[in-house]
Amino acid sequence: MNNKPGYSEAFEELQQIVSEIEEGEISIDVLSEKVKRAAVLIKICKEKLTSTEEDVNKILKTLEGDDKA
Amino acid sequence: MPETISDKTVFSLLEVSLSVRKTLAERYTSAFWVTAEMNKLNHYPQSGHCYPELVEKADGKVVAQLRGILWKTDYVRIDTRFQQVLKEPLRNGIKILFCAKITFDPAHGLSLTILDIDPVYSLGELEKEKMETIGRLKKDNMYDKNRLLPFPLLPKRIALISVETSKGYADFLSILDGNEWGYHFFHMLFPALLQGEKAIPSIRGQLSRIKKVIAHFDVVAIIRGGGGDVGLSCYNNYLLAKDIANFPIPVLTGIGHATNETVAEMISYKNAITPTALAGFLIQSFHNFAFPLQQAGELISSKPRELIREQHSVFSGLVKDFKSAAARTIVQNKNQLQHAAVSLFQQSRFTFNKEKERHALIPVRIGKGVRYLHQQRHHDLKRLSNDINRSALSFTAAASKDLHHFERIITSLDPAHVLTRGYSIARINGKVVNSISDAKPGDALVSEFRDGKITGRIESINEKEKQ
Repeated sequence: MNNKPGYSEAFEELQQIVSEIEEGEISIDVLSEKVKRAAVLIKICKEKLTSTEEDVNKILKTLEGDDKA
Repeated sequence: MPETISDKTVFSLLEVSLSVRKTLAERYTSAFWVTAEMNKLNHYPQSGHCYPELVEKADGKVVAQLRGILWKTDYVRIDTRFQQVLKEPLRNGIKILFCAKITFDPAHGLSLTILDIDPVYSLGELEKEKMETIGRLKKDNMYDKNRLLPFPLLPKRIALISVETSKGYADFLSILDGNEWGYHFFHMLFPALLQGEKAIPSIRGQLSRIKKVIAHFDVVAIIRGGGGDVGLSCYNNYLLAKDIANFPIPVLTGIGHATNETVAEMISYKNAITPTALAGFLIQSFHNFAFPLQQAGELISSKPRELIREQHSVFSGLVKDFKSAAARTIVQNKNQLQHAAVSLFQQSRFTFNKEKERHALIPVRIGKGVRYLHQQRHHDLKRLSNDINRSALSFTAAASKDLHHFERIITSLDPAHVLTRGYSIARINGKVVNSISDAKPGDALVSEFRDGKITGRIESINEKEKQ
């Protein structure tokens, strides 16, 4: 596990930023910061679309352990 | 024939059995229709015959039980019709209406030989079971339970309940894993039987295994396909349906058949007609996530630029406004200043003239004043002069009188005058002798008289006796 936000949180935060930008609620002062953050969030989310974190062997091990017990 | 042993008529078992068979044959001459639950079909694949276990239950307890016999040819015929009408094979646990003859075989005992089974009756019973399952789920508030679960934003991790060799499984995976957008799904197979009555414990068993590792999965998908439309009534089973309804994560079904929707499909989070359609649904879920991402990407690259442009134009508008307002203000102030200067000039000229006029009058007034003062002073002086004259005169008169008086006194006091009356003045060394202390014997004493001086030497000095 890492400190990156989960994709649900990332997606939600991204949607928030997008709607703020869309509605022009963002001041020019924080615009670049928000844009940078949004780019990071998009990257995180896109990675989630194409990555895998689960491991069949790990799951099987858990199952076998349980099955024996 | 019966024997007689010790006065008793004794029958052999076969004799009794044959007697029973004879009696039954005479009593039950024709076939009749019976309803019963076929607890077990007991099909023997080698012989092809079946020996169903027929029971009747009341409140869950067996109150009657008989063995049935279904000969191979009858079985094949009936089973075929069942599959046509019910989409179900003849199987354990269904209620049947059957036409039977009672038969008694000395070696195998009492049984009902089934000649025919009415599939329509069983169909109704199956439908009844389905309705009962639905009714119970609704009553226990479980019917919507799985469907009301929150759906994961990305159904990435899929626990698959399927058969590895089935066409449905292969179709499903080829679509998921071969998607052109590069979406990556994690899936793990939990193999189970997917049709027939054995599917119920098999699927339930896998569901409970998945539950143990639930943290690794977002959804469960039950995938079946290519197995024909037979044997799906298991999906109407209450226990299986209950497990699905209560499952903690969404259960998706892609069972792939053309018959009526089963209860499991009704209560699952999402039922797709085929495994292919279910894979499409999952990919669509990814699209639903990916599309806003793409839009967000486009937006954050275009909108800020637009915002900055907007701000820029607002700013330059402000600058323009400021410039023109400043120019206007300057012109206004200039005008005001000019106006003030003109009015100041006029005002000062007016004031200056007025002052000049006033000043011009001053010498005249001073002259007048001076003349007046002059007269005044002149007058005063005259008066003073008169006063002085008058005072002087009277003063002179008085003084003259006094002088006259003093003159007489002084004249009478003049030493010359005194000398004439017989007095003389004694002097020593030029100094008037007033007292005897001024003189000593031997001093030259000069006495002045009216007509000359006598000089002598002092012989003695006699002090006047004190009185």
